[in-house]
Amino acid sequence: MRTSFVFSEVVTGLRRNVTMTIAMILTTAISLGLLGGGLLVVRMVDKMQANYAGKLEVSVLLTNDVSANDKDCTQQPCAGLRSQLEQTSGVETVVFQNRDEGFERFKRIFEAQPELLKLARPEAIPATFRIKLTDPDRTDVIKKAFDGKPGVKGVDDQGKFLERFFEGLNGLRDVALILALIQAFAALLLISNTIQVSAFTRRVEVGIMRLVGATRWYTQLPFLIEAVVAGIIGAVSAVAGLVLFKAFFLDRITRNLTESGIIPPIGYLDILIVSPWLFLVAIVISATTGYVTLRLYVRL
Amino acid sequence: MIRLEHVSKVYKTSTRPALDDVSVEMEKGEFVFLIGPSGSGKSTFLRLLLREEVPTRGRVYVSNFDVAKMSRRRVPRLRQSIGCVFQDFRLLPTKTVAENVAFALEVIGKPRNTIVKVVPEVLQLVGLDGKEDRFPTELSGGEQQRVAIARAFVNRPLVLIADEPTGNLDPDTSQDIMLLLERINRTGTTVIMATHDHGIVDSMRRRVVELAYGKVVRDDARGVYGVGR
Repeated sequence: MRTSFVFSEVVTGLRRNVTMTIAMILTTAISLGLLGGGLLVVRMVDKMQANYAGKLEVSVLLTNDVSANDKDCTQQPCAGLRSQLEQTSGVETVVFQNRDEGFERFKRIFEAQPELLKLARPEAIPATFRIKLTDPDRTDVIKKAFDGKPGVKGVDDQGKFLERFFEGLNGLRDVALILALIQAFAALLLISNTIQVSAFTRRVEVGIMRLVGATRWYTQLPFLIEAVVAGIIGAVSAVAGLVLFKAFFLDRITRNLTESGIIPPIGYLDILIVSPWLFLVAIVISATTGYVTLRLYVRL
Repeated sequence: MIRLEHVSKVYKTSTRPALDDVSVEMEKGEFVFLIGPSGSGKSTFLRLLLREEVPTRGRVYVSNFDVAKMSRRRVPRLRQSIGCVFQDFRLLPTKTVAENVAFALEVIGKPRNTIVKVVPEVLQLVGLDGKEDRFPTELSGGEQQRVAIARAFVNRPLVLIADEPTGNLDPDTSQDIMLLLERINRTGTTVIMATHDHGIVDSMRRRVVELAYGKVVRDDARGVYGVGR
């Protein structure tokens, strides 16, 4: 098989149909970019779950009179609640945090948001029991057991909050993937169309190749390589697009969230890790579409 | 070398068979004229040899190939041993004479050094040395057909099929082309030529196979175009 011949045929083919080639590359790039975005969200969620896994707490919030009067949890109902909590199975540690300590913690967490701190007053912060569980999935047990007991204002399950946050992120991921799928379908049709047009434009050559006894592979190969090359350029564009998106857009809007540690930042390393998948998908889809198109629509 | 055994071909869109129980045998090195009016089955005959069509009934043999029954994978091999020349030349307008001939070798994977050696040889054989870098549009009809013949012959096929090769040429040029085909035949290549040209058939007195309505009506060893005409 003569590589120089195949190479020159590919270049000729791509140049002859410049407009279609560009369209093919663009739709592929958009589809892969959306796929990459979805994959990055998946990575982010994984990181968050790893980050928060050991740190999740259930907070039992105490009523205002307990918060105001019982700074050491020596009185009832506070002390009683504490011993009950310590005896509940699945509870690893119980830490009492009075109102003032809670306020200090609040100031530390939101030190990057001075406007928020200006509005806050200690009286708004309840005293809490901060409970670490041996099994993070058993938060419901605490809630059922202690919600509504005297002295208990409410039970805050950070896990539930995070779950809802994850649901939101996963929803975003799903939207990105669905859009990616739709775009991919468009890219598929465009690749198919481009190959058909290419084959039609080259019908005299293809006809002679058939007549003269060129094998099917030899005749097909320039078309398939055209499709794959366009797919790869699309993948490169998608990765470049993601990098630019992160640098000029994503970093700016998520700065607050990432700096306060609520969500992990998406780094260039993440994009690098995701990109091989984009290339793989690009190559497989363009090659398969090309082969199927040739099989169905072009007499070889 | 070439054998058709009770071959019939019916196209789906027609009730009358294109070929009707045709049995013909041709030896290696023969020069055979295939004559008959339009629609008599000449083109179908040639297309069956190339496996462009498959017979509805019967067997077709070209050299060692059982053409009708062979797998699709082996068809390129068959076609590499058959050279084709057409009435409309079928050259690539964006390639030079030499590139057109080389193309036939490139696409079947022949190495560059072979191509560089063989192409000038065959261009000299057909009388086109000196014109390697011309484009088809710069050539006369006769010269273009020579390029087509060079391309058909460059891989030294067993059989050369010519479908009305002189159809677009004037009588004098046609004679030149026929001399060339004869020269090729003398190298041992079987030549099968479908034609309407009375003059050529009459002047060469070779084997004539006449088709009418898909049947072989005449097979003369040294024939003329029309009986008693």
